Amino acid sequence: MSDVPTLLEMRSITKEFPGVKALSDVNLVVRAGEIHAICGENGAGKSTLMKVLSGVYPHGTYDGKIVYQGSESKFSDIRASEKAGIVIIHQELALIPGMSIAENIFLGNEPRKRGAIDWKAANRMALDLMARVGLEEDPDTLIKDIGVGKQQLVEIAKAFAKDVKLLILDEPTAALNEADSRHLLDLLRGFRSRGVTSIIISHKLNEIEAIADQITILRDGRTVETLDVKADGVDEDRIVRGMVGRELSSRFPDHTPKIGEVFFEVRNWNVRHPISADRQVCKNESFVVRRGEIVGFAGLMGAGRTELAMSVFGRSYGVYESGTIIKDGKEIVLKSVADAIDHGLAYVSEDRKAIGLNLLDDIKSSTVAAKLSKISHRGVLSEVEEYQAAEAYRKELRTKAPTVDENVGKLSGGNQQKVVLAKWMFTDPDLLILDEPTRGIDVGAKYEIYGIIQRLAEQGKGVVVISSELPELIGLCDRIYTVFEGAITGEIARADATPETLMKQMTSTKKMLTR
Amino acid sequence: MSRLKDLQKNLFGGTTSNARQFGMIFTLVAIVVLFQILTDGLTLRSDNLIALFQQNSYILILAIGMLMVIVAGHIDLSVGSVAAFAGILVAKSMTEWDLPWPAAIVFGLAIGAIIGAWQGFWVAYIGVPAFIVTLAGMLLFRGGNQYIGNANTIPVPEGFREIGSGFLPEFGPNTGYNNGTLLLGLVAALAVVWRELQARKTRRAMDADPAPMWVSILRMAVMVGVIAFAALRFASGRVGTSFPISGLILVVLVIAYSFYTRNTAGGRHIYAVGGNSRAAELSGVKLKRVNFFVMMNMSVLASLAGMIFVARSAASGPQDGNGWELDAIAAVFIGGAAVAGGIGTISGSIVGGLVMAVLNNGLQLMGVGTDRVQIIKGLVLLLAVAIDVYNKSQGRFSIVGSLMRPFRREDSVPPASPPDAEREPAKAAVSG
Amino acid sequence: MRKFFGTSVVAVGAAAMLALAGCGSGRDGDTGTKGEAKGFAANSLIGVALPAKTSENWVLAGDLFTNGLKDAGFQGEVQYAGASTTVADQQAQITALVTKGAKVIIIGATDAAQLSTQVAAAHQAGVKVIAYDRLITNTPDLDYYVAFDNFKVGQLQGQALLDGMKAKKPNGPYNIELFSGSPDDNNAGVFFNGAMDVLKPEIDKGNVVVASGQKDVKQTAIQGWKPEGAQARMDQLLTSTYGNKELDGVLSPNDTLARAILTSVKGAGKPTPVVTGQDSEVESVKSIMAGQQYMTINKDTRNLVKETINMVKALQAGNAPQVNDTKSYNNGSKVVDTFLLPPVAVTKANAAEAYATDPKLAPLTK
Repeated sequence: MSDVPTLLEMRSITKEFPGVKALSDVNLVVRAGEIHAICGENGAGKSTLMKVLSGVYPHGTYDGKIVYQGSESKFSDIRASEKAGIVIIHQELALIPGMSIAENIFLGNEPRKRGAIDWKAANRMALDLMARVGLEEDPDTLIKDIGVGKQQLVEIAKAFAKDVKLLILDEPTAALNEADSRHLLDLLRGFRSRGVTSIIISHKLNEIEAIADQITILRDGRTVETLDVKADGVDEDRIVRGMVGRELSSRFPDHTPKIGEVFFEVRNWNVRHPISADRQVCKNESFVVRRGEIVGFAGLMGAGRTELAMSVFGRSYGVYESGTIIKDGKEIVLKSVADAIDHGLAYVSEDRKAIGLNLLDDIKSSTVAAKLSKISHRGVLSEVEEYQAAEAYRKELRTKAPTVDENVGKLSGGNQQKVVLAKWMFTDPDLLILDEPTRGIDVGAKYEIYGIIQRLAEQGKGVVVISSELPELIGLCDRIYTVFEGAITGEIARADATPETLMKQMTSTKKMLTR
Repeated sequence: MSRLKDLQKNLFGGTTSNARQFGMIFTLVAIVVLFQILTDGLTLRSDNLIALFQQNSYILILAIGMLMVIVAGHIDLSVGSVAAFAGILVAKSMTEWDLPWPAAIVFGLAIGAIIGAWQGFWVAYIGVPAFIVTLAGMLLFRGGNQYIGNANTIPVPEGFREIGSGFLPEFGPNTGYNNGTLLLGLVAALAVVWRELQARKTRRAMDADPAPMWVSILRMAVMVGVIAFAALRFASGRVGTSFPISGLILVVLVIAYSFYTRNTAGGRHIYAVGGNSRAAELSGVKLKRVNFFVMMNMSVLASLAGMIFVARSAASGPQDGNGWELDAIAAVFIGGAAVAGGIGTISGSIVGGLVMAVLNNGLQLMGVGTDRVQIIKGLVLLLAVAIDVYNKSQGRFSIVGSLMRPFRREDSVPPASPPDAEREPAKAAVSG
Repeated sequence: MRKFFGTSVVAVGAAAMLALAGCGSGRDGDTGTKGEAKGFAANSLIGVALPAKTSENWVLAGDLFTNGLKDAGFQGEVQYAGASTTVADQQAQITALVTKGAKVIIIGATDAAQLSTQVAAAHQAGVKVIAYDRLITNTPDLDYYVAFDNFKVGQLQGQALLDGMKAKKPNGPYNIELFSGSPDDNNAGVFFNGAMDVLKPEIDKGNVVVASGQKDVKQTAIQGWKPEGAQARMDQLLTSTYGNKELDGVLSPNDTLARAILTSVKGAGKPTPVVTGQDSEVESVKSIMAGQQYMTINKDTRNLVKETINMVKALQAGNAPQVNDTKSYNNGSKVVDTFLLPPVAVTKANAAEAYATDPKLAPLTK
């Protein structure tokens, strides 16, 4: 291996924040032309390490040495690192929705002719760059009019416009569907064959296993090990072991379902799109949930699963057209979220940062936010009860935070998700709808959240899980509905559920029932 | 050493908001002391303290409403115009329609409610940004004021003037002080002690060790001392003057609204909407109702402020309300509210308003012209917010917050319950 | 140890409170009558509160007060109201001057009807209040008023308007338009009434015609003395009334408005009418010398300030200040003792003579 030249070496990097050692003595060696994966649980220090590398934390604010292309680099800011050919593509895309693809690609880097932007050249170069990343669009198309997958490609094209030598991708496939993810991974392989070095940070271990040459694993701000995928015969379990520091015997906790009677039923549910009234987002959908049952909803992105869940949850999405909800044998009408909460429904949204939590709030008040009446006496909130409730859930869900006074915005994704779960468990719901409950959450926390879901079901609650990860649905759910283009296309019992059967139902309108 | 740590940890609380609040109070105290020295003791003389409260109570009342509007993620530019509009109508109602003054006050509040409902309707139910709605309102009600008043100055009767320029009455034995004010101070002091004991009880209920007894006692002694000082100052004004009625109205409002925003579901909802409106909606918060309420409430308080100003000026004039919105907004932002909403406290805004008020008053006492006063106020506003923004961008909450940070990490229990520090300015307002 | 600490803290707190109680004792009574006619120290603080610095006249007055009070041995302090929150500023400034222990406060009111609370507070604190140029209304606590005879100003304006028109065109009827000042300025009405005192008989005779019919003070008022308001109103009058009529004269209450009116007339391409003015502003004196504006009033601010300071001197010595009108100025609560100064009408003909002693205006008349 020593014959392959080293592109980057980070030597015993230590980065301290007031009171917290985010990185201690971390080493990273990236060989030229490889795909190097960095794995670790949330909070392990991956992002911090990349920020050190890209100059977000300038030289002098950390200890250690960065040797890049054979000489020590002291980046003072992002511009300096970009000049050296290190480009980082963040999970949250830095694109401007109202501007065109070409404008975005050259933002801050516009080709000029006599002081003015040379749009002819820009468009020509944009087309060239877009071809390199396999993006077939008119460069004048606005960013907001293309999908997330294509937006990701624009980001990469933007990186190439800066003459990238080392491309860093932070969770590049987190928001992408299967097809787009596959395309992206192929693209990365293509770059490798053309000598571009990539660092990829991802929670999707199967992808890492498939694509990476080397894997560096971080845990609690320290380097655990660096694995050579081919030489060491690395598989997913091996990576997980390194990340969590122990063997995870199973990805799902043990659970014996105790399924009762049907208590919740949605019949002939029809909902129209909130803006374009001719678009039907829920087409005559019907489903049932039993007590103690975990019901999955599988479907491709945009299939209408979230829309269904939110429209049932107090008509918080779209325009209600027709359909009934029956709970415990009686028809109920849920005109607002407050109605839904009063009737024992809870909805954990897929995007906890955007619509699930008030990030300015502390854990305490977030926990009780959806049912303030429970801690109110004659209209006055009891701080003691608020604290006790929050503290109880913190302990029960093992939320990692110093106190319940901590801001939720400062927590890691997994812990934020636990706060959201606590918030809805606090409302003591009969039916809990979880939309992508483990998105962006690392392996260890995932396992815990599965456990919580199962415990809720064991308490006799109905749980609905919407997920894009088929193994998660198959591992967790007792029964799975498939959704395609706003209609329920199948209902599959756990025993019959395989990725293949689900995928088939998720991509066709033909109904198939196996029970 | 450990005692010092104890003190730091427990006296100022540990959460960032507490630390920030402490920073604000510290700034206020520093400015007061500075001017006390620069003006040879005029600043804290009873007649000046009384004047300070009378002059600023209406702006501080506006700041209460503005804080809620800003926390909910809106802004209200129309408060000055609404105040002027309500003021002229109330003045007219008394001089031309012979309404008795108590009825006129109710009438004024009703006008505020109607205007507020109008603005709230556009903001909450139609979804027009509050900036636009209230910009329109600013023109609308300013024009209304001029249309109704013909740009004339309309005097108001004696009884009504009390709410702007009246004082607690003189009664009881001759103690050399105003007895009403002394009584008020006593009540405030008892309230402080009661709260401190209550807080200790609360902390015990939270399974947390309360602060060491001596810290509690020190804290009580400091606050009771401040209250006693202020009460004596206000009570020893010239005979006939004492704690102003307008100040009393302000104190009642501050306590009521602090309680509302902190300890009721309705108050929580305002913060939730400002912090993340979609998340709030999905938690069962009735978004439209909250938005409607904050806008309506603001206009009611604006009309109250307008009436107090008219009462103090003994007449409603065409210049009433000019520029008030800016003073109120400045107070709220100096007091630590976030421009994007979701963050801020009533007490912070009051302290922010007082910082501006003391600055204004102190500079005037020094004979600094309004031109330079405006320059200084502008710089203070910019600096206060800039320091905050800078510190946030550095990953710290504020200078004081960062000072306090080392003490925070080492205690895993919630430190001194937040209401203490939050209420401090309210208490100070009771008396001083 | 701990116990000791606790008790000591309590002791310190208690001691502090006692100390505070000690220093706060002793309340002043109503000192309003105490200092009557006894005078005060010669180096006392004399406060001057003036409106916002929007007119050169107020700035000049401020400078004159600063220097004049200093020359007289007083400690003078001049404050101007801010540009936007004028009334509230002035209220706060007056209160601050009382707090600082001013013996006399001279007020050029921003809004003459909104200061009664502050004047009352000053009075109770034993401070003498002199209304400067603008009469503060609805307060029994105002002590003196110093001003130019504003009714006379109006009369002079009215007379000059008639004279000027007659000089241009020997025989009427003359078409005129009327303008008056800001309705919140007490003086505006006085000017107008003075002018109407002269013009009304002529209008009744039909010799002078207000062609637009807008004769009421409410119709003619210009809010805030704003020139753009006057210009807009003149524009409208020209379009609505003077399409095929000739405009012979305009009654304008002051120079700023007069120039705005002339701008409007010129813009409409009409011949220059006879326009009155007041204040002897530099631009207007130039305009008069150029034959545009017909007249202005010379109210020498120097004299007004001088008389005001004379009043302060008399008060200091414990004497009653000189007044020359104890009947005409009723502010709604009482008749205020007033010292009136005579104004002078200035046209091109007597400008050189009238401004002979004015270092700024004299060169313009040559």
